[in-house]
Amino acid sequence: MSDWLPKSAAGKRWLGLAPSYFVIGIFMLVPMIIMGVFSFLEPNPYGGVKPVGSFAAYVKIFFEYDLEDQLVFNPGYINIIFRSFQLSFGATLLCLVFGFPVAYYITLQPENRRNFYIYLVTIPFWTNLLIRTFAWIIILGRGGVIETPLLATGIIEKSLRMMYTDGAIAIGLTYSYLPLMVLPIYASLEKLDFRLLEAASDLYANRFEVMTKVVIPLCKPGIIAGCLLVFIPCLGAFIAPNLLGGGKKLMLGSLVQFQFASARNWPFGAALSMLLLSAVVIVLIFYARAAKNRAAMEGSA
Amino acid sequence: MSDQMHQAAANKGKKMLPVGHYRGLGAWTIVFFIFLYLPIVVLVFYSFNANRMVMNWGGFGIDWYLKAFQNDDIQKAVWNSLIVATAATIFSTAIATIGALVLARGGNFRGKTVSLGLITLPLMVPEIVTAVAVLIFFSAIGMNWGLGNVIIAHITFCIPFAFMPIRARLEGMDTSMEQAARDLYASEWETFRYVTVPLLMPGIVAGAMLAFVISMDDFIITLMVGGAGSTTLPVYIYSMIRRGLTPEINAVCTVLLFVSIAIVTAYWVVSKKSQTDTVH
Amino acid sequence: MTSAIDVRDITKIYNPNSNQPVKALDNVSLTIDDNEFFTLLGPSGCGKTTLLRLIAGFEAVSGGEIMLFDDEIENLEPNRRPVNTVFQHYALFPHMTVAANVAFGLERLKKPREEIEATVERVLTLVKMKHLADRHPNQLSGGQQQRVALARALAPSPKVLLLDEPLSALDLKLRQAMREELKQLQKETGITFVFVTHDQEEALAMSDRIAVMSDGEVQQIGGPTDIYEHPVNRFVADFIGDTNFMDGEIVGFNDDLVTCRIGTQSMFEAENSGAHKIGDQVTLFLRPEKITLSAVDDASAADTRPGKVANIVYLGNQAAYTVDMGDGIELIAQARPREDGKLPFTLGDPLAVEFSARALRVLAQ
Repeated sequence: MSDWLPKSAAGKRWLGLAPSYFVIGIFMLVPMIIMGVFSFLEPNPYGGVKPVGSFAAYVKIFFEYDLEDQLVFNPGYINIIFRSFQLSFGATLLCLVFGFPVAYYITLQPENRRNFYIYLVTIPFWTNLLIRTFAWIIILGRGGVIETPLLATGIIEKSLRMMYTDGAIAIGLTYSYLPLMVLPIYASLEKLDFRLLEAASDLYANRFEVMTKVVIPLCKPGIIAGCLLVFIPCLGAFIAPNLLGGGKKLMLGSLVQFQFASARNWPFGAALSMLLLSAVVIVLIFYARAAKNRAAMEGSA
Repeated sequence: MSDQMHQAAANKGKKMLPVGHYRGLGAWTIVFFIFLYLPIVVLVFYSFNANRMVMNWGGFGIDWYLKAFQNDDIQKAVWNSLIVATAATIFSTAIATIGALVLARGGNFRGKTVSLGLITLPLMVPEIVTAVAVLIFFSAIGMNWGLGNVIIAHITFCIPFAFMPIRARLEGMDTSMEQAARDLYASEWETFRYVTVPLLMPGIVAGAMLAFVISMDDFIITLMVGGAGSTTLPVYIYSMIRRGLTPEINAVCTVLLFVSIAIVTAYWVVSKKSQTDTVH
Repeated sequence: MTSAIDVRDITKIYNPNSNQPVKALDNVSLTIDDNEFFTLLGPSGCGKTTLLRLIAGFEAVSGGEIMLFDDEIENLEPNRRPVNTVFQHYALFPHMTVAANVAFGLERLKKPREEIEATVERVLTLVKMKHLADRHPNQLSGGQQQRVALARALAPSPKVLLLDEPLSALDLKLRQAMREELKQLQKETGITFVFVTHDQEEALAMSDRIAVMSDGEVQQIGGPTDIYEHPVNRFVADFIGDTNFMDGEIVGFNDDLVTCRIGTQSMFEAENSGAHKIGDQVTLFLRPEKITLSAVDDASAADTRPGKVANIVYLGNQAAYTVDMGDGIELIAQARPREDGKLPFTLGDPLAVEFSARALRVLAQ
């Protein structure tokens, strides 16, 4: 029956991993390398690239050519990148502040009810993000769910113009990735030994100190994981800034997509993607470092 | 009387909360769930709007559902989505299962960490970067299989989603079951076939469902990789939103929403049942 | 004498509003004296740990009052109660070193830095753990963790130290050594200890006084010998030590002794312990070590009773004999092995069984 299987353990091992290596290697790793190469080529005005080496794409992030064909500093793209980080950071913070107490509250519930709460948290997450973000247009938009009653009752006199603002994007991003904050924090809180909280209060820690000295330090891995899971997709987000920012308030994701869909500057899009990727790599390296330090500090059992 | 006792006098009469409990947590959680579910409720509500404009309430009606069901473009998009999601689910789950078996049961070996990193790579990379990389790759090698391109991209990024629940299940499984099978004269293959796979099944089902939902939900990668003719439902919805808002979108979205909820609920029930069945 | 803790009519009901409320403590009152080693003893589920947790403040009382040196504390949060707990599984903070764990309470009390350092060093020395101050808890053995937990609870100099089965996770040898140390520590520090255990041997060995609990009620409070020699009811007699019980009826009085009929016609005289009258159904109880077994031929005294060895359990330093006394009565008794290691009697041997009427006591049924 199993004659075709390799005899050695190592042979079986690599046979089992081969499909994963093949698919992810060919269709993920190799494309990213090619993307890196493309970012150093010249754009073809009809899409694609010309096989001529150039740093133009990276230069374009910082500079532009003025009328005399001189390179001058152009803050336009830098601002977009900066805004992307700012909004992602803000959304991550909002998710943390909003999500942590909820994760904690769920942990306090009896076990069967905990599962149900988690189910409730995940349901919106598995429904189409595009659709959910679109719903925010109905809520925030002109003549929408929030404005209409306020206008009708005379609390406000003219439109609040909530749509197409940074605030709207931040709400959209927070909304999109909130479950990704709650779930890892819940996972680490669930493992928390509640007798430690009793021990802390027994040793004169008040409720605030129980939280800051025991609960938060012990579920730090969950908090960090949650922040990463929110921050990384926020950086490259496309849907929320596009629908709620109205194309005027660009973020990195939309800027990249624009280079391929309309501007036909592939190398520039590739360069921006490389930038995004390196930001992610830097964040992940910090994360790995922190995890390693923690493991070293606490020792092994 | 000590300091603490004096404060006690002030607190007297107020019933203390158990350790670890905080006032206002429940209210906070309610606000949280309102925030989470408000858009969904609004969306469903407006799908019954009889008015042509989404924002203007014109009375109750199900016209937009009928319209959506008669729309050929929508039908085509749904069909495309189902083909892509089904293919992506089957292949990614199969690949993830054998990968997880090696990584969870193959002991420690050189390259284990690297392999784990590679399999979870699509999770780490922002979707837009994956989209760009795959788009460039297909154009560089001149591959233009229409829906085939989309399917390949989906298989790739669905692997880690299928992988995680399967691996979690494997690591929670007691190896003594497999040892018992070997002890009772089962060959390696028979052990795998009659013990490992049945025990692993809830994990495989969970992984497959996850992959399916993720694939159905994907927008940005499909938008960039797919050409004309490979429009999936999310891509079609996006174009509808851009063209102008009619409650037809709400109707389509509501249907999609309930399909998703049905799948997630099924997953939840399956995983709960499997917990009580086999893991003690 | 001042009382350290005065528990008054404490009731604790879990899930009071559900359809299955559980009454863990039912109107419990007891007084613990200052500088006392006080033990709450009972089988699991008897409410002893609940009572300890109510004193510590981890749970709210359903009714009643708890006084700590004349201050009412039952509505205080745990961090406002000057008592500290040694937890059953230690509950050491895994993200802090031993020293940081011990310093935790002192820091919360806003003690000056120098004082904290001095106290941490002092209590760690006290429990012989000073050399491991920089370790993390998961780098310590069970016995070491136990010592750290003890040091951590002692560091803030609590008025009362609460110990929740602290020895149960240790192995036998270590457990016995720690008994001595805890007892010693209590005398040295002069702090009132409230110790929870289900191990009667532990309770007898360490305590000044013991409260035996069952089903959410206190059955008896007294010193170890009091509890052992004069149990107030069958539950206490049965829970503490090995015991022979004989059910019968009072048929007569003779000075301060009562005569009971056991089985169909066997008569036993026993020490009276309460107001009984002829015809009362009672239980007689007799500790095995109060019974002397001897071979029939060298029995000289007239007040022995005949018996027969029905079963033997060898325990090393002694053997437990089940003696058939006839008339459906069986008694457990002990005998030491002879110097050559052989047991003095074998199965089926006839015996002369001797015990004083003073050793037999009457318990109400």
